[in-house]
Amino acid sequence: MKITIFDYGAGNLHSLAKALESPGHTVRFDTDLRGALDTELLVLPGVGAFAAAAARMTGGLDETRAAVRNGLPCLGICLGMQLLFDDSDEGPGAGLGVIAGRVTRLRAAQVPQIGWNTLEETSDPAFTRAALHTAYFANSFVCRPVDPSCVVAWSTHESDRFPAAVRVGNTLGVQFHPEKSSAPGVAFIHEFLNSVLPG
Amino acid sequence: MLTRRLIVCLDVRDGRVVKGVQFEGLRDVGDPVELAARYEAEGADEIVYLDITASAEARATLLDLARRTAERLFIPLTIGGGIRTVDDVAAALRAGADKVGLNSAIVQRPDVLTEGADRFGAQCMVASIDAKWEGGRYCVYTHGGRVATDLEAVSWAAECARRGAGEILLTSIDRDGARSGYDLKLTRAVATAVSIPVIASGGAGTAEHAGDAILHGRADAALVAGILHDGVVTVSALKAAMRAVGLPVREAA
Repeated sequence: MKITIFDYGAGNLHSLAKALESPGHTVRFDTDLRGALDTELLVLPGVGAFAAAAARMTGGLDETRAAVRNGLPCLGICLGMQLLFDDSDEGPGAGLGVIAGRVTRLRAAQVPQIGWNTLEETSDPAFTRAALHTAYFANSFVCRPVDPSCVVAWSTHESDRFPAAVRVGNTLGVQFHPEKSSAPGVAFIHEFLNSVLPG
Repeated sequence: MLTRRLIVCLDVRDGRVVKGVQFEGLRDVGDPVELAARYEAEGADEIVYLDITASAEARATLLDLARRTAERLFIPLTIGGGIRTVDDVAAALRAGADKVGLNSAIVQRPDVLTEGADRFGAQCMVASIDAKWEGGRYCVYTHGGRVATDLEAVSWAAECARRGAGEILLTSIDRDGARSGYDLKLTRAVATAVSIPVIASGGAGTAEHAGDAILHGRADAALVAGILHDGVVTVSALKAAMRAVGLPVREAA
């Protein structure tokens, strides 16, 4: 499978690329969202601010929304998950809007949330298969979907319960960093890859 | 529920892990990538590389090391030492660090914290504070503990948080290497003054000390170095001791 990481200019992408690598898959980067769509799996990685990332997406926003809605497998990590939603309290700009809802600040005294948080009510089989029970988070904002039926894992920071993962068809968004969640996190990525393999 | 973290620190010089007392008699103890991967396998929650060379030539070596590490390590990596500007932050993140630790540079120019947080998010900006008890207060030191400043550690930590730091890495100079336990008074004073995570550093001598730093010092995480590298304790013994006092801890796979 041809995997493309949309590189919007922030953060460590080495671990993610390495975690995605496996026999039968090729991983490439593209700094242009339209160019990134020439792929079998689009990855929206996770470091930076919403407004800056949204600005980098304006060029290919409509095409990407259409492609993902038509079934192009997509993995959004942390900020990448938030970009699947409509908009964010963090800053101006439009997300892809493939999942209806808004991104808002964590309702907690200690923000950002940094560390390993337990995953609750996991319903996607990838979590059980990968034995991923605790994952690494580094975020100040979380997604609030209009329809929570897309949530396939929850986490709680202080008293704020928020979606740790959402899944709609071939689109998976994770608020945590699977590529930083040790061996179970890497296994989780591979379970997702297997679940969207064509044929 | 957020678990409490055990963070392993490796002192790096010219691309190798070294150890020594007060930077004297440094001894090569191995390849950072191998050691970091081993600590991950043993259950460490994060790795910190502290670059103690910080010369211009060493910078390229460190970035190359970050790159090689990021391809092997699947837990967060923080790089500290010699990072001065927002461009240095960008280069370190780009090379493979997930967070950067800044110490002397933010004392000289605190705006770097805000600039880094605006561009890359607060979660990757770690304010590293070295403190020493002096004249009835905790005095902030820079340049690896060699240069005293006029700053008081608790108020400086609060200012770092206000300016965009996502975490405080708090090292007690008095306890560093003493193995008599973390400075719980210092840790508690800073942890209650800020609403961002505090990592306690300096003084771990037994497995129980890490739990003390979190339970009694109210830190979110404990950083250990020497006692692990010397084989005094193991990562699993440290985490078992944290668990034994009732702290939520991640189970290693």
